[in-house]
Amino acid sequence: MSAETLLRRTSAGRGRTDRIVFALCLIAGAIALVPLAAVLYYLLAEGLKAWSPSFLISKPGGITTKGGGIVNAIIGTLEMTGLGLVIAVPFGVAVALYVVEYRAGRMAIIVRTAVDLVAGIPSIVIGLFVYSLVVLTMGHFSGLAGAIALSLVMLPIIARTSEEMFKIIPRRLREGTMALGMPRWRALFAIYLPTVAAGIMTGIVLAVSRAVGETAPLLFTALGSNFVVTDITQPMSALPLYMFQNAQNIGFPAARERAWAAGLTLVAIVLIFNVLGRWLASRTQIRLLQR
Amino acid sequence: MTASTAPVEPTSPGGLVRRRRLSMGDPVLAWGVRILSWAALAAVVVMLIDTALNSAKILQHESILDFLFGTVWAPASTIYGAVPFIYGTVVSSVIALIFAVPLALGASLLVNEYLPARIGGPVAYAIELLAAIPSVVYGFWGILVLVPVLRPIQLAISESPLGTIPIFGGPAPGPSYFAAGIVLAVMILPIITSVARDAIRATPRLQREGALALGATHWETIRHVVLPFARGGIFAGIILGLSRAIGETIAVLFVIGNQPQIHASIFSPGYSLPAVIAGEFKEANQPFHPEALIALGVVLFVLSFAVNVAARYVVSGFEARAGGADVR
Repeated sequence: MSAETLLRRTSAGRGRTDRIVFALCLIAGAIALVPLAAVLYYLLAEGLKAWSPSFLISKPGGITTKGGGIVNAIIGTLEMTGLGLVIAVPFGVAVALYVVEYRAGRMAIIVRTAVDLVAGIPSIVIGLFVYSLVVLTMGHFSGLAGAIALSLVMLPIIARTSEEMFKIIPRRLREGTMALGMPRWRALFAIYLPTVAAGIMTGIVLAVSRAVGETAPLLFTALGSNFVVTDITQPMSALPLYMFQNAQNIGFPAARERAWAAGLTLVAIVLIFNVLGRWLASRTQIRLLQR
Repeated sequence: MTASTAPVEPTSPGGLVRRRRLSMGDPVLAWGVRILSWAALAAVVVMLIDTALNSAKILQHESILDFLFGTVWAPASTIYGAVPFIYGTVVSSVIALIFAVPLALGASLLVNEYLPARIGGPVAYAIELLAAIPSVVYGFWGILVLVPVLRPIQLAISESPLGTIPIFGGPAPGPSYFAAGIVLAVMILPIITSVARDAIRATPRLQREGALALGATHWETIRHVVLPFARGGIFAGIILGLSRAIGETIAVLFVIGNQPQIHASIFSPGYSLPAVIAGEFKEANQPFHPEALIALGVVLFVLSFAVNVAARYVVSGFEARAGGADVR
């Protein structure tokens, strides 16, 4: 066999392998897109049956009977996510500042590791933690316990994003504040925070998009409620809890329809926050790179 | 210096006082940040200890070995063994990895290497949106849509000659380790894909061009340049996906079948650690049942912690080796 034929044959084989790999990647990519399409299709097709604007603002009925809305779940989600943010944001930003600005050595590493640890804890275990500490102490389930559980879900996300933002504050800016003789606290409030505000906002939006959809941490903390509850010390519902409770009664067509409709609402909210968060993230990145 | 910071007349006595207050700002801020950070740390530590203490109450009932290695879970007769759940968690997570890893790798290569950014970007974005969908939605979709699709497939395999192998054996009623694995695969696919993409994207352009200039085909460039470089990152993505799969609760609860038993067949119903906590905690009224469930939570915590630590260790090993390769 001449060298030329050998070469031709091997390069034909190499070309074939190349095309086969491309085809396999194409198939993998196509399959990877199927679940999203399938989930969104069923949410829309099934969810729209029971969904209407009045579904959002009417009170829940019985689990087996037709009709009933999700106003209790929406109020619960708003209250618990809001309170969770009020708890998580100061702690998250403080942890980020502590780690980046006040390089406190060993303690900073410990705090950082603890927050990373929380990020790795399965959310059902966070629910158990809060049950053990808050619910058992209070003696009953409450929206407050749910909010604390959600704040633990959000804390690492906010701390991590803020930390990244503080880290990439341009050196020039830091040196500028020092050259002006600014005290640190003034530099922080007048220069650093406005600079990183967009980044912290990104963290908050992403954290909300995560927390709004969480069921597991709320199961043994907020518990759920079939009534419209605004008192944070009482058990309350949330969108994922509402969907979960209806989905558990899969045998009843009315509950099943409500679960799909609640799921549609939930996914819409989560996706809005998620898309917004990613958009903010890409924007801050670009602006910071340009600076 | 003083004149430029504060719009205060340095000569007036009030100015002096105010300047003094200004300088108080730093210690206040520093201590504020410190106290909030330490409080966050303390909260985490207190919660860990408190939960550990609560779960330790199970030891008044059975020994730690009986709990960890017990294969029977029968709350009605107050027997609590963790093995059925550890088994279910491991089996469903492994199935999830078997399906998700090749898909994620293929998809991330497709998006980064083959498709133009104009098309690849949106495809990657769509895959990553999967990560945003709440697990309760996956669970509900899983039991109503996915399980009915999987049921005939499971049945066909268990009745075919393959079914004589115990892991593919029948009966195959629908909800199963396998169904849980598939739902988990969908859920971790976006995580592995996005981490793998970042790793692949970080491959130095020069190395890539070097391989192409030597006459390597696209696949050979991927095989010998991109994949070795991105190995650590891809592995990190896989571990991240695994730790998500281990801790996933609600979606698994819907599709795994909720039977606290050990079955050889992946088509049999089972239970997982997080799912049993969610499924039984509220109705746990037998003696030591809640404590046993909290103890399962601690087992779950330790398991996912171990996976994370192992991941960090292995990834740092990869990075060290990659660094060594660069020097060479």
